[in-house]
Amino acid sequence: MNGLPRSPEDLHPALWRAHQMARVSSSVLSSQFLELDAVLPGGGWPERVLTELLLPHAGVGELRLLAPVLAALQRQQRSVMWFDPPAAPCAWALGALGIDMRQLVLVHSRAALKGRARELLPAADVLWALEQALKSGHLGAVLAWLPARLPPDALRRLQLAAQAHDGPAFLLRDAQMRSRPSAAPLRLLLSSAGPDLLRVHLLKRRGPPLAQPITLALHPVLSAPVLALAHDQAQAKAQTRASVRHP
Amino acid sequence: MRWLALHLPMLSLEAFCATLRPDQACRPMVLLADHRVSHANHAAAERGVRPGIKRATAMALAADLLVAEADPARDAAALQAVVHAALAFTPAVTLHDTRTVLLDVHASLRLFGGAPALWRCVLAAIEPLGHAVHSAAAPTALGAALLARWRPDRRDGCDQRDRLAQPDRPDQPDRPAHPPPVTLPAHANDLQALQALLDQAPVWLLGPGREHWDALQGMALHTLADLRQLPRAGLARRFGEGLMLELDRARGLQPDPRVWAVLPDIFESRLELYARAENADQVLAGAAVLLARLVAWAQALHARVAAFTLCMQHEHHRSATVPATVLRVELAEPALDAEHLQLLLRERLARVELAAPTLELRLHCSHTVAGHAPNGELFPTRASAAEGLTRLLERLRARLGDTQVQRLVPVADHRPECASRAIPAQGGMALGPARMCASPDTAPLPLHRPAWLLPEPMPLPERDAQPWLEGRPLQLLSGPERIETGWWDEHPVARDYFIAQTEDGSLVWLFHARMPGEVGEVNWFLQGRFA
Repeated sequence: MNGLPRSPEDLHPALWRAHQMARVSSSVLSSQFLELDAVLPGGGWPERVLTELLLPHAGVGELRLLAPVLAALQRQQRSVMWFDPPAAPCAWALGALGIDMRQLVLVHSRAALKGRARELLPAADVLWALEQALKSGHLGAVLAWLPARLPPDALRRLQLAAQAHDGPAFLLRDAQMRSRPSAAPLRLLLSSAGPDLLRVHLLKRRGPPLAQPITLALHPVLSAPVLALAHDQAQAKAQTRASVRHP
Repeated sequence: MRWLALHLPMLSLEAFCATLRPDQACRPMVLLADHRVSHANHAAAERGVRPGIKRATAMALAADLLVAEADPARDAAALQAVVHAALAFTPAVTLHDTRTVLLDVHASLRLFGGAPALWRCVLAAIEPLGHAVHSAAAPTALGAALLARWRPDRRDGCDQRDRLAQPDRPDQPDRPAHPPPVTLPAHANDLQALQALLDQAPVWLLGPGREHWDALQGMALHTLADLRQLPRAGLARRFGEGLMLELDRARGLQPDPRVWAVLPDIFESRLELYARAENADQVLAGAAVLLARLVAWAQALHARVAAFTLCMQHEHHRSATVPATVLRVELAEPALDAEHLQLLLRERLARVELAAPTLELRLHCSHTVAGHAPNGELFPTRASAAEGLTRLLERLRARLGDTQVQRLVPVADHRPECASRAIPAQGGMALGPARMCASPDTAPLPLHRPAWLLPEPMPLPERDAQPWLEGRPLQLLSGPERIETGWWDEHPVARDYFIAQTEDGSLVWLFHARMPGEVGEVNWFLQGRFA
C-alpha cells in the first residue's frame, strides 16, 4: 500500500473530487467582490478560459459586476476590448465605474446585417474577430456579446483560442442559453435582486454545485436615503400582497 | 573602386512567371520574339525546345507549351525592383544591360562589414523578388558584369548559349534556398587578378564581339587573351573601336563613366496578369509580387510604408466597361514587412466583391514614414504588447471596416445622446484626457448616468399616471433631474429624468418630455439601462 498515493487528487494537479474545489493552476484575478471570490474556484475570475455570463436582458448590473476587474487590468496598462455591445455605452458612466476610455476598444461586427437578423444570425465576423483578439494575447480582458445562434463548435474554438489569452474572457449571452451545453468551464446566471443588488447563480464551476445563489451589492446608482425608501416601499408592497393573500 | 555585378539570367521567364497562376508556373513555357523562341524554361528545354527555333517547331516538340510574347517593359519593371533593392546598400547603382545591375560598393564595404557580408545582405534583399542571381565582384564595372555573366567558378564545359536555354541547376552556389558560401563566387580582388581572369574569358562576352562571333571563330580567337595579342590597329579596323574600348574598360585601362539610377519619390508598379484572376487568392498572388517590389523600394528609401493603394483593372463585362476596383490600405503603424502587408491586403480583399475578373494590377504608394522600425523585443514588454495590439487593431479594421473599430470619447454635454462620441481606433494607445474616475480608495459615488444608452429614446405607454415597460409599471425612485439645454443648436431638449425600477429590480433611466415638440401621444421615454 506504500506505493499508492494517499488521496486521488495527489495523482495529477488537474484532478479534483466532486465535493472539492478544483485547484486552479493558472492565475486568477480577484473580482473585488468577497462573496463572489469565495465561491469561484481559485478565488477569482479565471484567466485563459472562457467565462460565460447569462443575462435575462442587458442592464441587470453586468458592467458593475465586471468593472472592478476591468479597471484593475487597465491600471496595469492592459487594454480591454468589447465586441458588439448591446447598446451605446455612455462614456461618463464607464468613467465613474473606473474604466479608462483610452484603453477600451469597441468592435462592431454586425454593421452589415440589418434588422432582426442582427440579433439572431451568427455573424462569422464576430467569431473571427474574437478569435484573433484572443489568439493575439495582447489584451487584458475581452467582453463579447454573442448572438443567440452559434455554430456548435464556435465556443469550443473560442475556448481553444482563449488558452493564448493572458486574462479573463467573458461571453455575455441570453439567459435562454442556460440549458444549452457550453465549453466554458465557468457559467454564471445573473439576475437582478432589487435596486443595486445582483443575484448570481453559479450554473457550472470546477467544484461542487452551489445550490443557493449569492447576492452582491453593486456600485450604487441610488443614494442611501432613496435606497432605503425603495426598500421600505418594496416591503410595504410585499406586506400588502401578503395581507391580500391571507386576509 | 569595387563593383558588385548582379546578373539575372532568367529575368524574362521569371517576370513572366509572376503574372501566372501558381499552378501554371511548372508548365513548359517559352517566350517569343519575332516569331522565334527567345527564352525557354527548364521544362521546355527538356523537351528539346531551344532558343532560336520557330514557334511552330516548338509547338510540335511540346504540345502543352505555354507560349507568350517577350515583353521588354515587363522585364524592365522587374529589373527596376532589383535596382531599388540594390539602392538600399549604395547610392551608386547602374543598369548595365537589360539583365545586369551594377553596384559600386566601394564606399559601403566598411558599413556592412566587408565584401562577403555585404554580398549576403544584397542577396537577402533581392531574394523576396524571386530571381535567380549570378553575382560577381571586380575592380572594374565592366569586369564585374562580364564575370557575372561568364561565371568562371562554374566552368563545367557548358557553353553560355546552352546555359541560356537552361535554367539554373540546383548545384548553383548562390541559389537563395542554399546557405550562401562565405566567399564571393566569382571575384577578382585586384586588377591583376581580374586581368588574369579576363584573359581566359571567351570572346563572345564582349558586347560587340558577340556579333562578330562567327568571324572571330573563323580567326581562331576564343579567349580575350587571344584577342589581346593581335595588333590593336588591325582589330579596330576590322571590328570597330568599340571592341577595343570595351576590352580596355573591362581591364581597367580606360575610364568607364556611368549614369546612376535614381530612386523615384512615388512608388508605382503595374502587373498585367497573363491568366485573369477570378478570385481574391489569385489577385493576392499577383499583388504579392508588387508588394515585394514595394518593400524593395521602401528599403532603398530607408522608410516604412504607411499606406498603399491597389488598383484592379477588370475585364470588360458584356461590352460594358467595369470601373476599376481601388483598395486603399492604411497602416496604423508603418511597416516594412511584406508578410504583414500581404495579410492586411488579404483581409481587405476578402471583403471586396470583385465585379469582374481582374486583368491588371497597379500598386501605388506615396505615403511613407522615414526611419527604421523600432527594435523588436526578446521578452514581452509593454512596448511589444502595444505594437501587437496595434497590429491586431489593423487586422480587425482591415476586415470589418475602419469605422467598426472604435474608441469612446466623453464629451462635455448634458444631453445623453451627445455626451459620448465613438471615434475610429487608430493606434494601440489612444491619447486623451486623463482618467476621470475617482481613486478606488474613496467610497463610490452614486452613478448618475446608465452605462447602456438606447440609440433612440424608446416611447413608453402611460397608464394610471405611471410609465409602463414591457407590460409592467415602472416605479419611479429618484428624480426629477431636469436637463434643459441645446436651444442654441438643432437638438434642443427639455426633459425631466427619473431613475425607475422595473418589476425584476433592475434600474432604468427614463424621462418625461417637457417640450411641446417632443410631445406626441406619449410623454415618457426610456433612455437607458443601468448595467
